[in-house]
Amino acid sequence: MKKLDISKLDVLALMSYDACTRCGECTSTCPTGGEAQDVELVTPRGKILRLREFYKRQYGLKARLFGPKEIPEEQLKELSSRAYECTICGQCKTVCPAHLDTIEMWENMREFLVANGLAPLPAHEQIVKSIENYDNPWMQPRTQRSRWSKRIEREVKVKDALKDKCEVLFFVGCTAAYDPNIKDMAIDTARVLAKAKVDFGTLGNEEGCCGSTMMRTGLFESTRGMVQKNIERFEKASASVIVTSCSGCYKTIRQDYPKVGKVNARVLHITQHVNELIDEGKLVLDKKVEGKVTYHDPCHLGRHNGLYDEPRKILKAIEGLDIVEMERNRDEARCCGAGGGVKTAFPDLTQKISIIRVEDAEKTGADILATSCPFCYQSLKAAVETKGSKLRMMDLMELVRMACSDGH
Amino acid sequence: MSQGRYLKDKAWLYLPFFGAIILVSAIILLLPYGTVYVQDRMYLFFFLATIVLCVALFFIGTLYNVLIWMQGKGLSGTPERRLMRVMMKSLRFVLSKRFAKVTAVFVKDALYLSKLKDRSTLRWLMHLLILGGFILTFALDLIVTFAMDLVNYEPMIVESGWAKIWIRDFGFEVGGLMMLLGLIIAAVRRFVLPPKIVRTELPDAVSILFLLGVVLGGFILEGIGIAGSIPGHTVNQEYSFVGYAFSLVTPSSWDQYYDQAWLIHGVMSALFIAYIPFSKLFHMIATPIAIEAERMLPSGVMPSEEARHL
Repeated sequence: MKKLDISKLDVLALMSYDACTRCGECTSTCPTGGEAQDVELVTPRGKILRLREFYKRQYGLKARLFGPKEIPEEQLKELSSRAYECTICGQCKTVCPAHLDTIEMWENMREFLVANGLAPLPAHEQIVKSIENYDNPWMQPRTQRSRWSKRIEREVKVKDALKDKCEVLFFVGCTAAYDPNIKDMAIDTARVLAKAKVDFGTLGNEEGCCGSTMMRTGLFESTRGMVQKNIERFEKASASVIVTSCSGCYKTIRQDYPKVGKVNARVLHITQHVNELIDEGKLVLDKKVEGKVTYHDPCHLGRHNGLYDEPRKILKAIEGLDIVEMERNRDEARCCGAGGGVKTAFPDLTQKISIIRVEDAEKTGADILATSCPFCYQSLKAAVETKGSKLRMMDLMELVRMACSDGH
Repeated sequence: MSQGRYLKDKAWLYLPFFGAIILVSAIILLLPYGTVYVQDRMYLFFFLATIVLCVALFFIGTLYNVLIWMQGKGLSGTPERRLMRVMMKSLRFVLSKRFAKVTAVFVKDALYLSKLKDRSTLRWLMHLLILGGFILTFALDLIVTFAMDLVNYEPMIVESGWAKIWIRDFGFEVGGLMMLLGLIIAAVRRFVLPPKIVRTELPDAVSILFLLGVVLGGFILEGIGIAGSIPGHTVNQEYSFVGYAFSLVTPSSWDQYYDQAWLIHGVMSALFIAYIPFSKLFHMIATPIAIEAERMLPSGVMPSEEARHL
């Protein structure tokens, strides 16, 4: 009989499974279980109750008295698959009246599933192989990582942080570095930093995947080596500030890296850094940018890190922009559907969710949908195109770059 | 881990634990119960046997639930040893200066249910009524037991005493009514007008109906007592305003069933206590603990350094 190993579940998570009141507040706002599919097992309540039922069958008082009961393999596999249909957006954490830290719970649940041989899903295994072999999830060679910067090498000096000492290390992230449709995000970030005369550099081809994808799919233990390597690179670069334009990298370096080793630098998301530059007068947004814009809060930036004001302050600082909020914004913002490995394993589900979010944006009457995360950008842009929406998908740094006069 | 070590860990936990159960049972059994109005003492003994068994079941069920938590990641040693260390750490925390600050947050989050209030006023009110009524009734029960059976405080015993009127009659009535109103809202919300998020399975239905049965049983008992002028219910009946209302529709001849009604209410209350750790109602214990633990250990994953100190 297969006995589940619950030693991989956090003590706090085990408490939280019992603390769930079954109220269902999380079910209606869950983007995957509630809104897109209406499948109870995908909702937070469904997952909690099922997993709790399983381990209580093997560890509860009844199991102690009469022996543990076997859980059919297909039921375990069903739970595992359904658990991966969650984007770990954290909406359930926002609404939970019992104050459960569901973000930690889902990541930990996946670690548990991996430890029990029930995960990752085959689709995620491909990504894991790519990260292990190429240091990025996109099956791209290491030598191509810094290629994005070639396009601006004449106008912007991007230092090699491992060779030339610099104040700010720009951690580009795999998506912006490799995805041809997202490269502009890295380019615009570099341009903005250059316009503010920030002494910055990157790790070039030496930059490794931050590990976010693997951590979100329950492979935290497998990322220790790559995290350690990145921390060593940070040490070697010795920059006092690490800036990321990817909210996934930001969450990972800020929240997860300290579990492996100390990061001796301030870790900032580009929206925080740009705000500081504006406040210090180093970045002047003196060009008018016309448009009606609505901002989508990336989950990793908002609910996971509480950064809601920074992007909005930037938008307000750009003259000419008319900012309108979607009905669900800030900690109530709908997810784009791409996170938590959902886009890789369940692309149709991602599309469903991102279309709902694009509809939210359309209702505002905005003509620009802005965000500050490459994953959100990718999935929302795809939804805009699929839907034939008139919205223009933009990264926040693109707007900032447009607001900087060339001479500044 | 050697077998000897394991047994030692178990002994350290189980000896004081079962000692505590025996102590509580002894207190329950040794109280004089001079003002219990049942005529047939066998009913009282049967109730006492049930309550002792149910309290033991409550503690054992809670212990084994907590021992499951203790098998999680972030702690070292056997679950029993971990629990002992966590309890010692919790005790130190309770005695620390931080405790007052955390308690304020605890009251706001776990008792006042601030987050629920922001999301749904009706559910907040429902929950607050049930929880508040439960806490009030439980607290009054302790006070009354102490005053009547341990110190024989006269105003609590005599029918016209101020404590009898305001605590035993009015106080319990308020607590019971709060629970009743909260449970009626819960029952209507679950069975009559269920919103989409409500999903009713057997444990959900049982929890509400069971508690509703206990609370209603209490008022019916009171009504029978008042209608039949059973000792303790002869004067100032209007202070037991809900029971009094029930008495108006209760034939006075039903006083012959008072002992049986008393036993049913008592046994149901006892069974309810025993049911808590084995049902969704365990969240009454787990949620406050999880909220407190979250505050004590701010990071989701307990760092290994922390684990070593525990």
